[in-house]
Amino acid sequence: MKTLAPIGLAVLACTWTASLAGQTIALPNRKSSEKFVVIGDAGTGDKEQYAVAATITKVHTLFPFTFAVMLGDNLYGGERPQDFANKFELPYKALLDDKVEFNAALGNHDDPNQRYYKPFNMGGERYRTYKKGNIRFFILDSNYLDPDQVKWLEKELSASGSDWKIAYFHHPIYTTASRGPELENRKILEPLFVKYGVDVVFSGHEHIYERIWPQKGIQYFTAGGAAKLNKGDTRPGQDITEVGFATDRSFMIVEVAGDTMFFQAISGGGSTVDKGVVARHLGPDTKKVATAPAAPDTLKAVTASPAAPPRAPPVVKQKTTTVTKTPPKTITTTKQTTTKARTPPRATTAVPPKKPPPGDWGGRVAHL
Amino acid sequence: MALKSRRGAIARLGMAGILAALSIGCGRKEPVDRDKEIFADYGKRVDAYVSLRNRLADSVGPLDPKMSQNEIASRSTKLANAIVAARQGAKQGDIFTPEVSAIVATIIKEEYSRRPQRILETRGDAQQELKDEHPDFVPRINQSYPTGAPLATFPASLLPVLPQLPKELEYRIVTTYLILRDIEANVIVDIMPRAVPDEKLP
Repeated sequence: MKTLAPIGLAVLACTWTASLAGQTIALPNRKSSEKFVVIGDAGTGDKEQYAVAATITKVHTLFPFTFAVMLGDNLYGGERPQDFANKFELPYKALLDDKVEFNAALGNHDDPNQRYYKPFNMGGERYRTYKKGNIRFFILDSNYLDPDQVKWLEKELSASGSDWKIAYFHHPIYTTASRGPELENRKILEPLFVKYGVDVVFSGHEHIYERIWPQKGIQYFTAGGAAKLNKGDTRPGQDITEVGFATDRSFMIVEVAGDTMFFQAISGGGSTVDKGVVARHLGPDTKKVATAPAAPDTLKAVTASPAAPPRAPPVVKQKTTTVTKTPPKTITTTKQTTTKARTPPRATTAVPPKKPPPGDWGGRVAHL
Repeated sequence: MALKSRRGAIARLGMAGILAALSIGCGRKEPVDRDKEIFADYGKRVDAYVSLRNRLADSVGPLDPKMSQNEIASRSTKLANAIVAARQGAKQGDIFTPEVSAIVATIIKEEYSRRPQRILETRGDAQQELKDEHPDFVPRINQSYPTGAPLATFPASLLPVLPQLPKELEYRIVTTYLILRDIEANVIVDIMPRAVPDEKLP
């Protein structure tokens, strides 16, 4: 453990950090990178949505993301024109005014006709692909995974070349939240994701934040807490959930610079609840996923001016673990070493979850 | 707009068995031929509906990507009203005929029987969410699917074994009903009660 502490400090020292009104951006914030925000299950129109939206807007002043990934349940309840105003246009007005481009997936609470709503940029399609820099996104309609959609996905994945491949859709195929994963969708999607080297998957539906241990080389996030909250509905450190947060609403900010994806999960109140990096797949069979959850308390010591010039991304020493799975396939999982030693990613087969600890995950939230 | 029958081999076998039982001693054609006839008839009915609604859609104007949300909502309502008016006399079985209903219900039942309990529970949870939010919702023909009600996720492994639909229509499950829904108009076009096994549902 002694040797790990300096490495953890090195991570922090190399991370450009900016802070304003309690929010801290722990991502490199480079000029040339792709920056986006991830929000899920946001469209309630209630004060909680507006509060999280206000935090997102503040974050945007520090971390100028240019587009937003919406994970579905974009509008709960009615879908009259005034609902689009109250549940989307007003809470995100500042972002829309700043030309942030929203790219929505459909949730189970969404009328599929949302695909014609221009600000969601769905182009009239239930599922679609788009490109930002060196990232190819695949938006799926997990409500209705029909054979045409699956065929389309395979065609698009096979043609997507060496870009980052990020898929997102509403229903998580890995989660330990109470409603459980969408296993039927997993059976169909996972083989395609593995075959064509999808790097990262974002889902909503569960009103929590959750980072799953990499599964078959793919990093899964659940980020469905941008307005609703299922308090305590996560099992961090148990089963397949590496990090979970369910004591407040949450959203994510993400930055992709070259072969590295930096992510930060932020609570509705502006606290950092998780952060780390994911490395892009290097080949069809060998996949490197490095995650670096911060030791949150340590981050309190880091201060930097928002005007500080962007710095190089974190250079960290990494601990490599080789896991052999069945069917025989070697996956090299590279895990960034921080001040805390962690157990290596588990196999895909989930261990039955134990009873979650009382009070959820209070000990790992950092107010910055 | 041809409707393709895409049933799995197992479902086909199960269905063939039932059709065989029905045709024994009746001097009917071979079960598989009868099966094809029923699905061909179903396809014609679906196509007839789609032709009608597309004519009506033309009359209310195309969906323009430049439309405002007000205009999109207004168009959807106009299309729904036009469909309901044109199908005043529509009744259960106009598209889901008794013959195709018997086959489809068998396919669904057989598919459910092959699924492990945890998958059935997930399907049941999706229905429970719908039931919690709209406890009194009973699907009816020409009814608008309730605004704001969740569209229960359709079981992904069931879709490939059902006859494929044109893009204007989709299947949905509401408790034990299989419904045929016009997506843009949000209108229930036909219903198939007792199509989905209820023993695993809330």
